[in-house]
Amino acid sequence: MPEEKKDELIHLTIDGMPVEVPPGTLVWAAAQQAGIEIPIYCYHPKMPPLGACRMCFVEIEKVPKPPQTSCTTPVAEGMVVHTKTEKVLKARQGTLEFLLLNHPLDCPICDKAGECDLQDFTLRHGPGKTRFDLHKRHYQKPIPVSNDVLLDRERCILCQRCTRFSSEISMDNGLVMISRGFRMEVGTAPGHAFDSVFSGNTTEICPVGALTASTYRFKARPWELKHTPGVCNNCSVGCNARIDTRVDRVTRLMSRNNDAIDDGWLCNRGRWEFGYVNNPQRLRTPLIRRNGQLSAASWDEAISYIATRLKEIKAQHGAQAIAGIGSTRTTNEEAYLFQKLLRQVLGSNNVDHQHGYFPGPRDQLTGKPWMMTNSIVDIEQASHIVLIASDPYQRQPILNLRIKKALRKGARISIINAAETELDRLATLKLTVPEGASAGVAAKIMLKQVLKNPEVDLTGHEEIRTLLQREDQVIRAGEDLFGARMTTQLQALADELVGAQGAILLYDEMATLEPGNEDLAADLQAIAVLTGQIDRPGAGVGPLFEDANSLGARDMGLLPDSLPGYQALAEPGLDYNEILSNSQVKALLVMGANPARHVADGKLSSGLELLVVQDLLLSETAQQADVVLPAVSFAEKDGSMTNVDHHVQAIHRALRPLPGARADWEILTALARYLGAEWDYTHPGDILLEIAGQNPFYAGLTWEELGAQGVRSLEEQEAAHV
Amino acid sequence: MPELIITKNLDVPGIDSLAVYQQYGGYTALAKALREYQPDALVEMMKVSGLRGRGGAGFPTGLKWSFLAKNNMPRYLCCNSDESEPGTCKDRVLMERMPHRLLEGVIITSYACHVQTAFIYVRGELTRAAEQVEKAVDEAYAAGLLGSNILGSDFSLDVIVHRGAGAYICGEESALMESLEGRRGYPRLKPPFPAVVGLYGGPTVINNCETLATVPAIVAGGAEWYASFGTEKSKGTRIFCLSGQVKNPGNYELPLGVPMRTLIYDEAYGGGILGDRELKAVIPGGSSTFILGADKIDTPLDYESIAAAGSMLGSGGVIVISDETCIVGAIARMSEFYRDESCGKCTPCREGTFWMTEILERLEHGHGEMRDIDLLLDICDNVSGKSFCPLGDAATSCITSGIRLFREEFEYHVTHGHCLTGPGSKQQAHETVQAVGSR
Ligand SMILES: Cc1cc2nc3c(=O)[nH]c(=O)nc-3n(C[C@H](O)[C@H](O)[C@H](O)COP(=O)(O)O)c2cc1C
Ligand code: SF4
Ligand code: SF4
Ligand code: SF4
Ligand code: FES
Repeated sequence: MPEEKKDELIHLTIDGMPVEVPPGTLVWAAAQQAGIEIPIYCYHPKMPPLGACRMCFVEIEKVPKPPQTSCTTPVAEGMVVHTKTEKVLKARQGTLEFLLLNHPLDCPICDKAGECDLQDFTLRHGPGKTRFDLHKRHYQKPIPVSNDVLLDRERCILCQRCTRFSSEISMDNGLVMISRGFRMEVGTAPGHAFDSVFSGNTTEICPVGALTASTYRFKARPWELKHTPGVCNNCSVGCNARIDTRVDRVTRLMSRNNDAIDDGWLCNRGRWEFGYVNNPQRLRTPLIRRNGQLSAASWDEAISYIATRLKEIKAQHGAQAIAGIGSTRTTNEEAYLFQKLLRQVLGSNNVDHQHGYFPGPRDQLTGKPWMMTNSIVDIEQASHIVLIASDPYQRQPILNLRIKKALRKGARISIINAAETELDRLATLKLTVPEGASAGVAAKIMLKQVLKNPEVDLTGHEEIRTLLQREDQVIRAGEDLFGARMTTQLQALADELVGAQGAILLYDEMATLEPGNEDLAADLQAIAVLTGQIDRPGAGVGPLFEDANSLGARDMGLLPDSLPGYQALAEPGLDYNEILSNSQVKALLVMGANPARHVADGKLSSGLELLVVQDLLLSETAQQADVVLPAVSFAEKDGSMTNVDHHVQAIHRALRPLPGARADWEILTALARYLGAEWDYTHPGDILLEIAGQNPFYAGLTWEELGAQGVRSLEEQEAAHV
Repeated sequence: MPELIITKNLDVPGIDSLAVYQQYGGYTALAKALREYQPDALVEMMKVSGLRGRGGAGFPTGLKWSFLAKNNMPRYLCCNSDESEPGTCKDRVLMERMPHRLLEGVIITSYACHVQTAFIYVRGELTRAAEQVEKAVDEAYAAGLLGSNILGSDFSLDVIVHRGAGAYICGEESALMESLEGRRGYPRLKPPFPAVVGLYGGPTVINNCETLATVPAIVAGGAEWYASFGTEKSKGTRIFCLSGQVKNPGNYELPLGVPMRTLIYDEAYGGGILGDRELKAVIPGGSSTFILGADKIDTPLDYESIAAAGSMLGSGGVIVISDETCIVGAIARMSEFYRDESCGKCTPCREGTFWMTEILERLEHGHGEMRDIDLLLDICDNVSGKSFCPLGDAATSCITSGIRLFREEFEYHVTHGHCLTGPGSKQQAHETVQAVGSR
């Protein structure tokens, strides 16, 4: 096999250096691989070649009319390329001279200075002086194209990366070219703002300082920034990001390409919503409630106080009086330790977190835990994508771009949603769930149709028919609400799935909490299984989770009915709602969650004798706590997170932790030790090893192995016992 | 008067109507094509006729048709009636006066190329031409010459007339397709060529209006008959659009190979230079082609001879320049055109045409420097061959050839601050000052 592969490579020489690349590779990319820099402006590896800026010239032997643009020329066997001939150098200098004609050269006040391709290429490839002695073209200095993005048309080199991002990647034409020739400029359609949730990407791919982000303007010089590889903490996609920090503050997030996850993009939420990390209101010291007031305490004081109170409550009311609510945004290691503390140290199974509704830890049909069965990349290969009660544009934004990529490859998109979504305009089918009906009943109508389809083999799944028959009344009522036309469309869609080359059905985790959607997860899973749209490329089904570590929290057993690795518990503890409403609960530990938002009038049970909250800020819940412990953000600690398609990814400490605050895993370790447990973890890597030893979905994983791009661990493996 | 082919009967009153066109033999070629020829035989016929594209590049038409990719995508025909090349005005007249001849050519070509949808892209400013073509299309539909089962055959065709929005670049074939598809008129990367991936991704034939209007005559008269006109390699006739300082400007259809002198001086055609002045230069194929000096006046007007003389036959727009014209001003004016019409997609053309025009304007107004002249040539070198599409190259033709032929006029502008010849020369300026002073 490897031999065969080798034969498929194309051989060429670039500046005398032999290079081997797969067919279809562009000369520019081949040179890049050989370590030869060819300057580019318009080309961007995530977009089709354009050939517009005329910067990437090379000379190719035996090709007429030199020079050629390397970004538009695919390699050919035996090709001989020169990147530094006289003709090439003159043409490049010519292009740079043209680009600089009207350029304001206001580098001292330009955010891009220091990481600007115009500066850098002029230095390396440009003419040392200009022959232009006329007046430069002037425009009003930056004009806002949205609340977040400013455009300086004088600095724009009209490379069209931003406009092509808008037309080809986000497909919203947020930025367009206006006028032609030397009057051409970037802008928005009349009366429209560049309000795409992806607009921030253009500020990153703009090779000059023409598009700048309002959050970063005049905040730093690029060379002052420290870069740390990280993962966005704002939703379940887990986009890879580079965290740029300067003197104990996060200044910006930049994309860090991971083809399997983000494809090189970040959404604006991910890029810009890190304000909470730098928030001056961050908690810097533990607080203990004394005489009704939260007042500062030392860590020792706080932890020993909690330990004492927990022991007392356990002695008085039993272990079942203790409960814990964990987080969907802390690391796997922290989620794991949290449930371990409750279960092993304190002896209570009353542990949960806020999440969607799923019947049991695993799906009955497949025996697999509740998670998206396909990978993010699989979405690209699908022929049909069905979004039921989900809106990735708002909630898992970067998945929206992956769906659009699938669309460009010909996928048909069907949307079933009560609300309008951004993708509606590109969808083949949009069904608006009428008032009173639900996505859940739409799924039932489809499932019923699937069962009727003669091509569907029911062997081994007869119970689905029986189960659905019981719902007949609900389905009929649903059909009435949807009306004849939409019901037929739902049925047609169901039939289409039967023969589809590859279909992916996605629903929002939180939609399962809405009335009528109780069976949504199970019914969609059943549709996928019966139509064969599971466990093959371009097919799948599953929930779109809410937060950066929603899936990790489940994996780690932050659930009342399962231990880490979805080992079901015979006697489940109290679930999230029960913990919040059951008066037997006397002590509640909350880590990185804000349950006060989910109870009536925001007040937690007055029967609580101890409420401990670990958080960054004094949340609504923390305000009611007896003890508040200051925690640190994702930017201040190491650990792993598990994203929506089960990539386990490492986050790294990018900032000095806020003085006075501690990582949740450190807090939990300290508390466990006070409670007499012999926990001696010194780094999250130690905890991950323990997880890997117990959790069959993490078997064999090590901190080092997570590397820069994470590992997609999906198969349940025999746990490698440590 | 040599035999007319494309403009035959052009002056017949009412020939723009279907009835009169048919009285004069219109649509018999179509009937013949449908009845007597398989599509491939028509492609072969075009090859034998030697017909070459009249849009500018002179590519053999039959060969172009034979390049269409064989796949299951729908095929399209685009008729390029965007005619915007300065000095060119033949397509407009064909469309205004004899739209059915074009339409007949479009239908035969569609049949030959297995096309079921054809677009006629008419330059936005040509309101009357577009109306005439639209009217002809309506008439043709009503008469069963368009639509399903044309003339009872199993060939069906729809024709859609589309009007441009006023951009020279949309005459470039791939920009025309972008524009038709509703996008900004930017040329596309080639390959793939339109014959493989064209309009809406389908294999597409694109031909100039005059090219297509020639097709019916070839079908009617036969390939050999058509090939008997013209020269060995440049066969047939074409319309020369004669303009500039000539006594009788206008469109003249002549066999290829006719000497330039005949076109410009013959009483039947140009009738000589305006005011009987000296001929200074000729631009033989529209403003995008190189300027030729007066010494080239005996060059035959065929593709090969004009190329040998150092220019191109281009769109057939022959622009006559007499000694009354200052070449600096003329070139500055042409340069403004390219600056304004550059689509802006690529750097050298967008910025280069701007810079060159600035320099030419300051030379013209007497503020230039001697080094500007060589600077212009160097900018031309950085634009030509470095741009994305031929418009960039075209923008440099008049400048490089103009400086080569008339460098002393540029130098005179630098040293004297005004023109060497023409209305802007010292002599003229003096006269004007006197006229004003005496008032
Ligand atoms: C900048 C530019 C403008 C052009 N404008 C026209 C035009 O107005 N009409 C035209 O027929 N061809 C024009 N062409 C040539 C077309 O690209 C194309 O070659 C032609 O329509 C092919 O038809 P033909 O083979 O019948 O000549 C232009 C080319 C360029 C590069
Ligand atoms: S704003 Fe930036 S990305 Fe957009 S065209 Fe200008 S230089 Fe290119
Ligand atoms: S899609 Fe989600 S993970 Fe990606 S950048 Fe946006 S918020 Fe962050
Ligand atoms: S040369 Fe470049 S800027 Fe000029 S018209 Fe062609 S693509 Fe547009
Ligand atoms: S990078 Fe190749 S032309 Fe722009």
